[in-house]
Amino acid sequence: MKKSIRICSALVICLAVLYLLQALLVPKYMLTSQEGALIGEYYANAGGNDVVFVGDCEVYENFSPITLWEEYGITSYIRGSAQQTIWQSYYIMEETFRYETPDVMVFNVLSMKYDTPASTGRGSQREAYNRMTLDTMRWSSSKWNAILASMTEEEKEKESMFTYLFPILRYHDRIGQLTKEDLQYWLHRDEISVNGYLMQTGVKPYTNPYVEKPLVDYSFGENSWYYLNKMVELCEKNGTQLVLIKAPSLSPVWWEQWDDQIVEFAAEHDLLYINMLNYQEEIGIDWQTDTYDAGLHLNVYGAEKASRWFGKILVEECGISDRRGEADVAAVWQEKINKYNAQKEQKKQ
Amino acid sequence: MKKLGVIAVAVLLVVLAVVLVVVMGNSGGDTPTPTEPAKDNFVFTYNGTAIMMDVEATDIVAALGEPKSYTEETSCAFEGLDKTYFYGSFYLSTYPMGDKDFVYSVWFADDSVSTAEGIRIGSTKAQVESAYGAAAFNGSNAFVMTKGESTLTIILKDGEVSEIVYEITLD
Repeated sequence: MKKSIRICSALVICLAVLYLLQALLVPKYMLTSQEGALIGEYYANAGGNDVVFVGDCEVYENFSPITLWEEYGITSYIRGSAQQTIWQSYYIMEETFRYETPDVMVFNVLSMKYDTPASTGRGSQREAYNRMTLDTMRWSSSKWNAILASMTEEEKEKESMFTYLFPILRYHDRIGQLTKEDLQYWLHRDEISVNGYLMQTGVKPYTNPYVEKPLVDYSFGENSWYYLNKMVELCEKNGTQLVLIKAPSLSPVWWEQWDDQIVEFAAEHDLLYINMLNYQEEIGIDWQTDTYDAGLHLNVYGAEKASRWFGKILVEECGISDRRGEADVAAVWQEKINKYNAQKEQKKQ
Repeated sequence: MKKLGVIAVAVLLVVLAVVLVVVMGNSGGDTPTPTEPAKDNFVFTYNGTAIMMDVEATDIVAALGEPKSYTEETSCAFEGLDKTYFYGSFYLSTYPMGDKDFVYSVWFADDSVSTAEGIRIGSTKAQVESAYGAAAFNGSNAFVMTKGESTLTIILKDGEVSEIVYEITLD
């Protein structure tokens, strides 16, 4: 009996040490590459969101949930992450339905351009992007499936999926590269977004038009269509309206041929699709003042304009109701507004 | 004494676990490390400047002189800039790795430049086939050739070359 107690004690100590070691070694995404923290911040804010945005940087940089609340009383959350692929977006949607059933799910269609994990970029950067989306997802079948869908065949052969299960296997070599950030955020994290919105206050005007190399074939790939169809089914099953958008970012280039395919798909499936690039003037975007990186993403001033414009559509075409009259909800959102305003002031300096 | 035994066992287990982690990590982990530029990739030559895909771009950009236009893009989450230079007859794009830029792609803008095999915008399908072989045709609208870790794509429209693109091959 005593022997088994001793063994159990030793195992507990061993596991605790491993846990602490792993917590020390994993990237914290607090002071650098903050985008990596976004997916994990959802869980503390899950529930009660009438609208959930899913997608890549074009959602978490271009829309402000605070503006949607202040202008229209819409409760919303952005489940965005850097270069979030469509298969990751699908599983994030699936996971979201475990926590809540929003009236509207908004998906940014730029990621249709990536058909396979290998097509998403160079190896090390692709893996780093995957980590930023997947590492802070809570464990569920959705996360596991998202991991498998995000790996190339070569990565699967190397059984790299287990490094997501035990991140210490992936990050053990950071032991010699630890920084103050790792010690500061060893066992806790700050919330860096406001409902998934990562605020930028800088201004870098747009100057030259962006050009991209031509493509042999502008047809979206089979895998992209597979996941878009799955999104439609998933939202239908949950009684949620799926809205497709192309956010107003000038690069990467959104080819006309791509737009045509989404327009056709939306018509076939009776979905609302809005290419916001077609409404830049109506939205009021000034590319000299409303972008922090020369047109790739909007800064907070641009995001507020885009949200003001898009909120009207959510109200008029999706029937999202104003919840500002609900005292308990309003109190929660007032706290978010306070945080947002404080961030805005702080980041301006 | 017994407490010491428990502690000794625990310490032993921790050491074993850490060793296991390091060994497994080294063998099974997919640590992203910068790759050496490939040395046997496609080369586009302009005014005597050889532009090989996926090699460091600094000297190439310096040799090409002032571009007619230039754009740069930050990535969503990483340091460094994706850069595109326009030299009138072709575009050159680079990607960052560490503190250096590497050649990512070259694509032609007019018919004043050609591939090493003499193919330019406006060449016929027969000329491309003669230069690169029928096997490289994708069956619809392009000839696609690979060399090392790079790809040369020649796109046809109405029986003539409309686009020529050199780029690194994504793994």
